[in-house]
Amino acid sequence: MTEVATAARRPYLLAGKRAWVLGLLVAAVLCASALRLSPAQLIPSGSGFALLREFAWAALTPALDYEAPVPEGTAPLALKVLDSLRSTLVFAAAGLSLAVAIGLPLGALASTAWWSRAADDSLPRGGVRKLSVPVLFLALRTWIAGMRSIHELLWAVLLLAALGLTPFSAVCAIAIPYAGTLAKVFSELLDEAPRDGADALRDAGASRLQAFLFGIVPRAVPDLASYVFYRLECAVRSSAVLGFFGFPTVGYHLQLAFDNQHYHEVWTYLWALIAVAFLFEALSSSLRKRVVLR
Amino acid sequence: MSASDRSAAVEVLWRQRPRSRLLRGVLLALGAWTALAWASPELDLAGFLSERRASNLATFLQTELVPFSLRGTDWGPRELASWVLGAWRRVGADSTFATLQIAVVAMALAALAAAPLALGLARNFARREPFARSQGAVADGSLGWRATRGAARVSAILLRAVPEYILAFLLLAVLGPRTAWPAVLALALHNAGILARLGGEVVENLDPAPLRALSSTGSRRPGLVIFGVGPLTLTRGLLLFFYRFETCVREATVLGMLGVVSLGYWIQDARAKQYYDEVLVLVLFGAALVLAADLTSAVARYSIRRRS
Repeated sequence: MTEVATAARRPYLLAGKRAWVLGLLVAAVLCASALRLSPAQLIPSGSGFALLREFAWAALTPALDYEAPVPEGTAPLALKVLDSLRSTLVFAAAGLSLAVAIGLPLGALASTAWWSRAADDSLPRGGVRKLSVPVLFLALRTWIAGMRSIHELLWAVLLLAALGLTPFSAVCAIAIPYAGTLAKVFSELLDEAPRDGADALRDAGASRLQAFLFGIVPRAVPDLASYVFYRLECAVRSSAVLGFFGFPTVGYHLQLAFDNQHYHEVWTYLWALIAVAFLFEALSSSLRKRVVLR
Repeated sequence: MSASDRSAAVEVLWRQRPRSRLLRGVLLALGAWTALAWASPELDLAGFLSERRASNLATFLQTELVPFSLRGTDWGPRELASWVLGAWRRVGADSTFATLQIAVVAMALAALAAAPLALGLARNFARREPFARSQGAVADGSLGWRATRGAARVSAILLRAVPEYILAFLLLAVLGPRTAWPAVLALALHNAGILARLGGEVVENLDPAPLRALSSTGSRRPGLVIFGVGPLTLTRGLLLFFYRFETCVREATVLGMLGVVSLGYWIQDARAKQYYDEVLVLVLFGAALVLAADLTSAVARYSIRRRS
């Protein structure tokens, strides 16, 4: 009641969610002025403008063959593009599958279904447990947050420095932050899944692990599967960008073509990447329609 | 019911379970592709476990990550803390705040651009009579509206199909590295695509009854948006905004590596000089910023959800 009364007294623009919108707009203007951004800077200079025009033209006419002569015996451009796409998908699939293997157990452990005090008899009782449970839970959550708070490219920087340019660095660079994100989302999905099935199983004498595996996990599987599929799309993008660090994915060839000013070739790679995104989009939307919404 | 009856009934239920050929095909393809990926010589798993690699890693962890001024000295937590503080004062503070500012401006621009796109691709709004009871092909079949929806949908996909990093790389060449615009624009464009798609779903899931009431009293499209769709989608819109904000901060950190002033710029700078102690501390500053943004987002989402 009191909250309603105070909300009514506040000025119109500061009440409830409007305050958020207004606050965000003010923050954005302040940040823009701190960065000294002005719309006038968006107009490219003479050379930038020429580049933009060249670039726009290249977008409509992507290269179907190399723009400059290549040594005898070089594979045609189309094959090279397909091969870079294949590499991109290899790194994405390896990285994401490793992330799933790490992230799912972590997420299951970090779910409150596991750590809540109620009906918990698998952990030691008494003072040790009172102290150890919140500490362990917090440590686990912090670990997961740490994994995903560092961007995959920064993991790549660290891993490249530590291990050198080996393909497995790229796989790990994708796998670590993605495992953190998957663990977080999975634990949230498990927390939000209805508990009635698990309670019934517990009442029927199932162990805690059985109730968790057969009562809670299946309720979260459809959402989880659709999220993993979405992350696969993200992993393809990450993997493409990792090419900028020397791995043989789309980004590598794109940067090379750009540095050689072969803008039509740049667009061939870009369109190839966009085509993959369209494919994933079409697949995931038809899957969602048939599976999740049923 | 005897045991055999029961197992027969279970058998029948099992055979009647929902099945989708598409789902099976996709799962099979994904599994096969993953297996092929791990088996492919490209990953060079055997070459990974070499002796040189191990000694590389040992040097990296034992020497290169140790702050340069502390190497070979007898240092403890206090010396380390003062070194970290020094790094924060030198480059950390300014670039961390610049990273945050880039993310905030980019997200605000993304939200502003995503709103019209989301309306344009929503099947229940972008048609002749918005929110009217569906009359099959007649209500939304006009070519103009179908083209509008298609264009909005395609541009949303195009915007988010290109990774921010590549967008920023291209924009940098056009706009030059003098300002933060390449990073801001790249983040704004990519996130506009994502927000538009998610926002379009929010509009499509709106309860049409109050909106029909509004249009029956004579509201045209602008009125419907300002007094109907806007207020009804504000909560979900804010939730989406904060969901992306966290990711946007993460991305803003790395976009600097291309030459825009954010944390990434100094990370790349330290990397070029092979000062890996500095790389690590800057990466950790970025991680702290992302965790702070993560926490802010969680608090904001919680408070917005509670109030609605």
